Amino acid sequence: MRDRVFGVLGLFKSGDALLEAVPRLKDKGFTQLEAYTPYPVHGLDEALGLPPSRVGVLVFIMALVGGLSAFGLEWWTSTVSYPLLTAGKAYNGWPGWIPVVFEATILFGTFTAGLGTLFVFNKLPFFGDPVFGTKATLDIGRDRFALVVLSADGSLDAPAASAALSAVGGEAIEVVPLPDRPKAGIGWWMKVVIGIAAACVVAGFGVAWAVRTMPTAKPWVAMEVQPKLDAQQADSFFANGRGMRRPPPGTVARAYMPILAKDPEQAGKALVDPLPVTARVLDRGQEMFNLHCAVCHDKLGTGKAWLSKRYKAQPANLQSSMMRQATDGALYWVISKGYGTMPGYAADVSQDDRWAIVRYVRALQRSEDAPTRDEVGARSPQPGQRFARSQPHPPSPATPN
Amino acid sequence: MNRARSTLWMLAALGGAGVVATYFLEGPKRFWENWLLWFVFLACIALGALFLVALQHLTGATWSVVLRRVPERIAALTPWLVPVGLIALFSLPVVFSWAQPGADKITPIVLKAHWLNYPFFIIRLVVCLALWVLSYAILVRGSIKQDSSRDPTITVKLRRYSPVFMIILALTITVFAFDWVSSLEATWYSDIFGVYLFAGATTTAIAVTLLAVIYLQSRGRLPDVTADHLYNLGGLLFGFTIFWGYIAFSQYLLQWYADLPAEVFWFRQRTVGSMEPVFILLGLGHFFVPFFALMTRSNKKNRKRLRWVAMWVVFMGFVDVFWLISPIIGQGVHLGWPELAFAVFFLASGLLVVGRAMSRGEDTPIGDPFLPDALEFQLR
Repeated sequence: MRDRVFGVLGLFKSGDALLEAVPRLKDKGFTQLEAYTPYPVHGLDEALGLPPSRVGVLVFIMALVGGLSAFGLEWWTSTVSYPLLTAGKAYNGWPGWIPVVFEATILFGTFTAGLGTLFVFNKLPFFGDPVFGTKATLDIGRDRFALVVLSADGSLDAPAASAALSAVGGEAIEVVPLPDRPKAGIGWWMKVVIGIAAACVVAGFGVAWAVRTMPTAKPWVAMEVQPKLDAQQADSFFANGRGMRRPPPGTVARAYMPILAKDPEQAGKALVDPLPVTARVLDRGQEMFNLHCAVCHDKLGTGKAWLSKRYKAQPANLQSSMMRQATDGALYWVISKGYGTMPGYAADVSQDDRWAIVRYVRALQRSEDAPTRDEVGARSPQPGQRFARSQPHPPSPATPN
Repeated sequence: MNRARSTLWMLAALGGAGVVATYFLEGPKRFWENWLLWFVFLACIALGALFLVALQHLTGATWSVVLRRVPERIAALTPWLVPVGLIALFSLPVVFSWAQPGADKITPIVLKAHWLNYPFFIIRLVVCLALWVLSYAILVRGSIKQDSSRDPTITVKLRRYSPVFMIILALTITVFAFDWVSSLEATWYSDIFGVYLFAGATTTAIAVTLLAVIYLQSRGRLPDVTADHLYNLGGLLFGFTIFWGYIAFSQYLLQWYADLPAEVFWFRQRTVGSMEPVFILLGLGHFFVPFFALMTRSNKKNRKRLRWVAMWVVFMGFVDVFWLISPIIGQGVHLGWPELAFAVFFLASGLLVVGRAMSRGEDTPIGDPFLPDALEFQLR
C-alpha cells in the first residue's frame, strides 16, 4: 500500500490561481491532472483538457432504443402477431401507441442517465475518492482549490511532482496514497440486496399507512360522479328503492330480441336472416368474424387456427358438410348461446353483427366449394376487382330470404 | 431614411396594392382568409415576444438581460395589431361560420350563441388589444426609461407586474385563439386550443428573437452576446419545440381516439387531399427537425446553424397558422399571387415597425442592475 501512489496534491487560494497553475504544470511535463474545487470554476474543463461528457450520447442512444422497442412491441403484438381491432381503429393504429413510446423513451433515457452516471462514470459500487482521505478534504469543502498530479500508470516521481507543484504556487503539498479498494464479494452484494429489500418494505408499508390514514383529495370527479344510475345502485326515487328497472311488460329493448328457441334445431325453424343482401353486410361479417371467430375457427373456417394447437377442445370445422347443411337460424343460435366449449357471444357482438357473421360464414363455405358458374361467364370480374363489392353474391340457396 | 428602409417602404406599397387587388379580383373570402392568417401570425410573434420579456422578469433570469432589448423591440408589433385587428372585424360576416345566415339553426352554434355574437365578440377583441398594448407600454417603455434614469426600482416594478401579465396573457390568448381561429368553424370543440396557439406563438417568437440577435450581431451590434447566451436561447427554443409537439399531439390524439363527428371533421378538413402534405410537413418540420437539430451542444453554440434552424422554425410557425386558417375557404391548399402579396405587405410593414423600434433606447438595457451578471454569464 505504501508504494502505490494516487497522486500528489497541492492547494491553491483561488480558482484563478488554479487555472494559472495548470498550463505551467503541463509545461513541466505533468499532463495527468485532476482538480477538486468547492464550486465550478469556469474554463477549468478546457484548461485540463477534459473530453466532453459521454452521458449525452449514451442517453440519446438508449432513449432511441427505448422508443423504438416500445413502438416495435406495440406494432408486433397488435399488428403482426395478433391483429386486433381496438376502439374501432384500423390495424396499425400508431397514434394510440405514442404515449407509451414517449414514456419508454423517457424511462430508458433517465435510467441510462442515472444508473450510467453512477455505475460507469462514478465507478459504483466503490464509494469515495482517494482524495477524500487526505488532510486537504476539509479545505476543499470550504475555500481551497486542489490540484492533483495523477499517477496514471503508477510511475509518478512523487518528489519531483511535489517540487513542481510548490513551484507553481501550490501549498500544503501532500502525497495521496492509493487505498486498497475492497473486493465486492458475495457478502457485500448480500448487504446491498437486503438493504434494497428493506427499503422497499419500509417504503411500501409507509405508503400503505399514508393512503389509509390520510384523507385523499380528489381534484376532478366529473367522470366518477355522473347524473345517472349505475347497475345495482340504490335510489330513493323509486318505491322499491332500487335504481334498476324492469322493462314494461310485453316490450323488448331495441336490438336485443330475446331468443326463445331452446336448441339450434328449433332456432333453425323459427329464425330468418333479417339483413339485406349488400356488400356492406358481408364486409361487416368479415370484420366481425376475423375479430371474434377466426382465433379458433381460422380465417377460412376450417377450425384449424393456431390457437387450437395449444387448446385441447377441437373447434368446429365450418366447412364440414354438417355445417353447410345447418340452417342460418341454427348458426345464429350457436353464435348467440354457445355450444360445447364455445361461449355465447350475445353480450359481445350485436344482433345484426351476429347475422352478418352467419352471412359471411356462408360466403366462406361457398368460396371453398364454388360452383363453376361463379368463376366463368359474362359476369366474371376484372383482375384485381373484388367480386363482393362490384357484384353482390346472389343469396345462397340455404338463405331463406 | 436609408436604403433598406426605402426598399421596405416600396415593398410594403407594392404588397399593399396586391392586397387591395385581392379583394376585387379574388373576392372577399380569399382576402379575409389571408388577412386573418397574418393577423394571427403577427399576434403570435408579438405576444410570444412579450411573454419572453415577462418570463425573464418573472423568473429573475439574469443571463438574458443582455439581449432583452431584442424581444422588447419585436413586441413593438403589439400596437400595430390594433389597426390590423380592428380591420379584421369586417371579416366576421364573410368567413366566420357562426355569423353566416342559417347559423341560428345549427344546434352547437345556438348553444354557443351567448359567446359568439357581434357585440360581445367586438368587446372581447377591444379588451384583448387594450390589455396587450397596456402591457407592452408597461413592460417595454419602463425598461427603456431605465436607460437614462438608471433607477433599479423600475426592475422591481417590472418583476411585480410580470406575474399579472402572465395571467392576462393566459386568459387573453385563450380568448384570442377561441375567437379568431376556433370560431371560424364554430361547431368544433377543443379545450386545449388556446394552449396550442400559445405553444406555437412562443416557439415562433423565440426563433424570431434568435434571428434578430444573429442579424444584429452580423451588423456589428450586440457585441456582448456570446455563444453561451445563444446556447441558452437555443435551449429555450428546444424546450418550447417539445412543448409544442406535446400539445399538438395531445390535441390530435384525443380527437383521433374519440372519433366524434363534431371534432374530427376539423382534422379531416386539414389532413386530406392537398392538405395532407402540409399536415405531414407540420408534424415533421415543426417538431422533429428542430428537435434533432437543436439537440447537440455544438449546434446551439454555432451562429450559422442556429440561424438556419431559427429560420426554419419561423417558417414552420407560419405553416402552422396557415394549416389552421387557410382550410376555411374550402378544400385543399390555396397558394397564389394573393398569398405572395399578403406576405410581402405584412412582412415589409412588420419589419418597418420593428426596425423603427430598433432605434428606441440602447441596444442593451444599460440601466438594468443585473446587466453585469448577464455580461459575466458563462456555461462552464
